[in-house]
Amino acid sequence: MEAEQLNDRIRGSLAVLIDSADELRDLDQALGDGDLGITISAGSAAVIAALEQLPAEATPVDIARASAKAFANANPSTMAALVAGALLAGSRVWADVADVTIADAQAFAAAAATSIAQRGKTQIGDKTILDGLAAVADALVDQTDADEALDAAITAAAAAVENTKHLQSRRGRASWLQERSIGMADPGATALQRFVESWKIAGVDVK
Amino acid sequence: MKKIINAPESFVDEFVEGILLAHPDLVKTPGDDLRVLARADAPRQGHVGIVTGGGSGHLPLFKGYVGTGLCSAVAIGNVFSSPSSDQIFEATKAVDGGAGVLYLYGNYGGDVLNFDLAADLAELEDISTRTVLGRDDVASQPRERKLDRRGVAGIIFAYKAAGAAAERGDSLDEVAAITEDVIEHTATMGIGLAPTILPTTGRPSFELEEGEMEIGIGIHGEPGSRRGPLETADEIADHVVEALVADLDLKSGARVAVMVNGLGATPLEELYVLYRRTHQILAESGIEIAKNYVGEYATSLEMAGASISLLELNDERLALLEAPAKSPFFQEG
Repeated sequence: MEAEQLNDRIRGSLAVLIDSADELRDLDQALGDGDLGITISAGSAAVIAALEQLPAEATPVDIARASAKAFANANPSTMAALVAGALLAGSRVWADVADVTIADAQAFAAAAATSIAQRGKTQIGDKTILDGLAAVADALVDQTDADEALDAAITAAAAAVENTKHLQSRRGRASWLQERSIGMADPGATALQRFVESWKIAGVDVK
Repeated sequence: MKKIINAPESFVDEFVEGILLAHPDLVKTPGDDLRVLARADAPRQGHVGIVTGGGSGHLPLFKGYVGTGLCSAVAIGNVFSSPSSDQIFEATKAVDGGAGVLYLYGNYGGDVLNFDLAADLAELEDISTRTVLGRDDVASQPRERKLDRRGVAGIIFAYKAAGAAAERGDSLDEVAAITEDVIEHTATMGIGLAPTILPTTGRPSFELEEGEMEIGIGIHGEPGSRRGPLETADEIADHVVEALVADLDLKSGARVAVMVNGLGATPLEELYVLYRRTHQILAESGIEIAKNYVGEYATSLEMAGASISLLELNDERLALLEAPAKSPFFQEG
């Protein structure tokens, strides 16, 4: 996927993702402090605005970095800082990439997951966005067909969210709920699932 | 709630405006954002910049230590809230003189996330950064988990040493190593007698019964290691100094710097009563006080209480403490 198409697809996906803001807010109110809805809606809107401003010659790295800065500043929160750091970490593996392949997307997701694990001092199974992101990164390994890869990513993200319902939150405000967090889907992992789904919807719309 | 404010939401910007109006020769805002403050002569070519930051409500902490021989810039957030990564990045750009920038701040989750993200942004613009965290609060974790300790008043020793090293032209690696060394040899413990009242909520940050004190309190009113009946000043000093001496493993013949810090609503007289006993205990143990600080260095608005910090000295650390420094709130030499 070349830079211009990538830019269009991100903006299209985030426009769809904003529709999930209320759902994410409600999930986060049950488990955290309820600001995930605004982080996602304000962050997505800021990224869309920033990407519209990018010059035509912007590369995939430029796009990822502009997205990170915009997301971080739109509504500063722990999640915004973690996501922005993850996007910057992902952008580093795209240093020389002009045309993003499935392998490049996989490398990006894996680097982003590593960043969130380190910055958030979190592991898979702690019931966070990392559970979804790591599952998506794994699902993209050795994929060769774009549509199949995206479907695999969506399936993996949804399965990861389903799995978080059985887990007890171990990071952030949700950890204070202890066993009461069991039974509820993790809001961060759900946000990632909705983003991957939005990526498909935006592509279908484009076609 | 009785406070001298106009509106809770304008409190931070208005006290910063006051500082700028009072001390234009010492500090400036490099851009439009009042939450980012730099020393008046920044950036200084060839010198390491030192950026600190954290929530408002701790003056003179953070904003008060920007000046000659101290930090070069600061980014502050709302009361007890982290500054944004963008504000930290603005501070970074304002003080980068080509020799890199040291991030020196307390070990709090939101601050760590935002400073780390700012470091990522700085890297994109080829500004080298290093990070050293203040983590001197012995009550927050035992020594074997010292990397998880909170940063409290003892960070001022680190500001002083880092600023002196940067001022004389040390490299980023050297400044970072000196700062880490000072933090490694610093220990602090505080006691709280009455809570702060947050301007935004109008509510006390914690509650204590009459006749109770919180031992090992954090500078945001976080709980300490225990709660107990209010002791006399001498008993408080005995317990706190004993814990600090044990943590630093100080022996007879050691030299230290002592800081008796008020948390905002405790009078200087009471701090000197604490200092008196602290001095006596250390003298009895054969520990020499080579430098002392008594006053308000890191506060929590009007929280009542105090903290005591010790820095174990050697010749180098003492020389760094004694090097000249000047900010609107702190002067040496």
